[in-house]
Amino acid sequence: MTRQRLLIESLRGLRRYQVRSTFVALGTLVGIALVTLVLSLNQGVQRKIGTTIRQIFGGDGILVGARGTSLLGGPRPDAARLTIDDIAAVAGAVPGIVAWDPQQVRPAAAVKAGARAATVRVLGQSARSPVVWDRPAIRGRFFDDDQVRTAARVAVIGESASARLFPGGDPVGQELLIESVPFTVIGVLQRFGTDIHGMDRDNEIVVPVTTLMRRVLNVDTIALAKLVAADADHADAVVEDVRRVLRERHALQPGQDDDFRLLTPREVREMSGMARRIMSTYVPLGATIVVAVSAAITALLMLSSVSRRRAEVGLRRAVGATAGDVGAQFTLETACMVGAGGLGGVVLGLAAAGHLARHLRVDSVDAGVAVLAGLALSIAAGLLAGWLPARRAARIEPAVALR
Amino acid sequence: MAMIELEDITKRYQKGGAPVVHALRGVSLAIGRGELVAIAGASGSGKSTLMNVLGLLDRPDGGRYRLDGREVSTLSAREQAGLRNTRIGFVFQAFHLLPRTSALENVELPLVYSDRTDIRGLGQRALELVGLADRVAHTPAELSGGQQQRVAIARALVNEPDLMLADEPTGNLDSESAADILATFEALHASGRTIVIVTHDAAVAARCPRRIRIADGRVVEDTRPLCAGADPIGPGAARPALQEVR
Repeated sequence: MTRQRLLIESLRGLRRYQVRSTFVALGTLVGIALVTLVLSLNQGVQRKIGTTIRQIFGGDGILVGARGTSLLGGPRPDAARLTIDDIAAVAGAVPGIVAWDPQQVRPAAAVKAGARAATVRVLGQSARSPVVWDRPAIRGRFFDDDQVRTAARVAVIGESASARLFPGGDPVGQELLIESVPFTVIGVLQRFGTDIHGMDRDNEIVVPVTTLMRRVLNVDTIALAKLVAADADHADAVVEDVRRVLRERHALQPGQDDDFRLLTPREVREMSGMARRIMSTYVPLGATIVVAVSAAITALLMLSSVSRRRAEVGLRRAVGATAGDVGAQFTLETACMVGAGGLGGVVLGLAAAGHLARHLRVDSVDAGVAVLAGLALSIAAGLLAGWLPARRAARIEPAVALR
Repeated sequence: MAMIELEDITKRYQKGGAPVVHALRGVSLAIGRGELVAIAGASGSGKSTLMNVLGLLDRPDGGRYRLDGREVSTLSAREQAGLRNTRIGFVFQAFHLLPRTSALENVELPLVYSDRTDIRGLGQRALELVGLADRVAHTPAELSGGQQQRVAIARALVNEPDLMLADEPTGNLDSESAADILATFEALHASGRTIVIVTHDAAVAARCPRRIRIADGRVVEDTRPLCAGADPIGPGAARPALQEVR
């Protein structure tokens, strides 16, 4: 009796029980694909999260948001009032603040240039925005304090928005309409890339905050402001001062909740630490649990297969199979299913990782580690799932099974 | 020398706290090469246990079992599996064919565990021998009960065994198919094969030249007991090859 014949018998077993075989292979495929995907993107995504958090919050920025305003989304109807004057007063009263920038936003504005139209995120900011947010104009220029004071209709455009509205041409000096209000493009923003939500942060137009408030949105409030503390080590004290001044201006009584939100450098550090922990611990752990669950399901399916095939086992023993042959056959059946699922999972996981990396503009895919881990896990899962059913099959007494 | 010699075989079963069941209480018998023997008895008489001992599927608790003069009841499990593969062919009441598998692949199953070559050819010839050459690609579900049992007989024949053991081979069949299967066994016997049929059906037993009746774990009747040295064909008789039959 040759090993090759046993292998052929195992493959015939897979064919005889196609539904079971397909489910086992698919379960393994999903688990291994997840592990491969997560591991191959893990490092790149962690770097990306760190970069994005730095881009948004800066090293020592304090974000002030009106309560009910999401930091990236814009105001909701029930948002509390937060004005430029509030922030100016804070900046005047708290000595530790060296720079500040108010922000208003229209998350999905209809923008037209000639015959072209696009939906673009429009931000209203001050002339200090390039310094405070570390995002200057790379061509043309940014607007200045005078243009903010007079609510001038000037715009600095991101690369993606420019590519849609002025394909192939230089946008600087061109006219565009934001919600039917005419603006002149005076500069092009430095490239940002996608943020962690997959949002293209270059599909943006920045205009003077006053212009957006008065001429487009017709509001007198802002969504948020970023304050830059001089000394990151004393940011906590600065934050307390900011809170005190804002509570006074909003006439909040002791015991009343803040009607604004403060996001401090410490919270930002905690956020990025949590993101790192999630990516480096919980996500791989979750993927491993998925593989373990699929291995357990495989083992259960194989055990039920063994008990439904007791007569077959008895017959095989009667025609000359040893207990070892029977065990080997069930082991090989499991190995073939899990192996096929594992290989497919690695391929699928890598393909998905490549696709996602392009979409999220994550710079690196660690294919080697992921493939090794994916294959090792599927082998481990196969051995675990195959061992018990094979042992049980090998222990079946032929005389009893054939009765 | 007889092909099969059992000497004072005993077998007890005990399950959990249940009382001990003495399935075989000292069975001695000899079967010569080329015989067609019925082992008859009521259910619970011990005939199935005797068949399992004869087929090396179960070990006796006591006594000796010699196959062609060689003590086989004490061999290792691996050696016994090898003997089951090369020297014994089984036919069961419930056919035990693999589902969703062609007649040919079912017949070839014993060869998977052998080192024979030309598996396809041997399988084809065994099916021809039972008159199913035109059903090689059919699965059990596409065959009648009688045809399924003939596939099982072909499977028992494929590795050219010395001994065929049939356990109630007609138990699941209508009378016409049963007669057909018995005729197949008689033809195989006529071509020189040694066949032992275990049955509780008196009509089946009546068609065999020799009948051994078992009751309460003992041989109570043997119509033509074999004396030592009185082998009908003789110890040196060649095993009939598949091609020579029919």
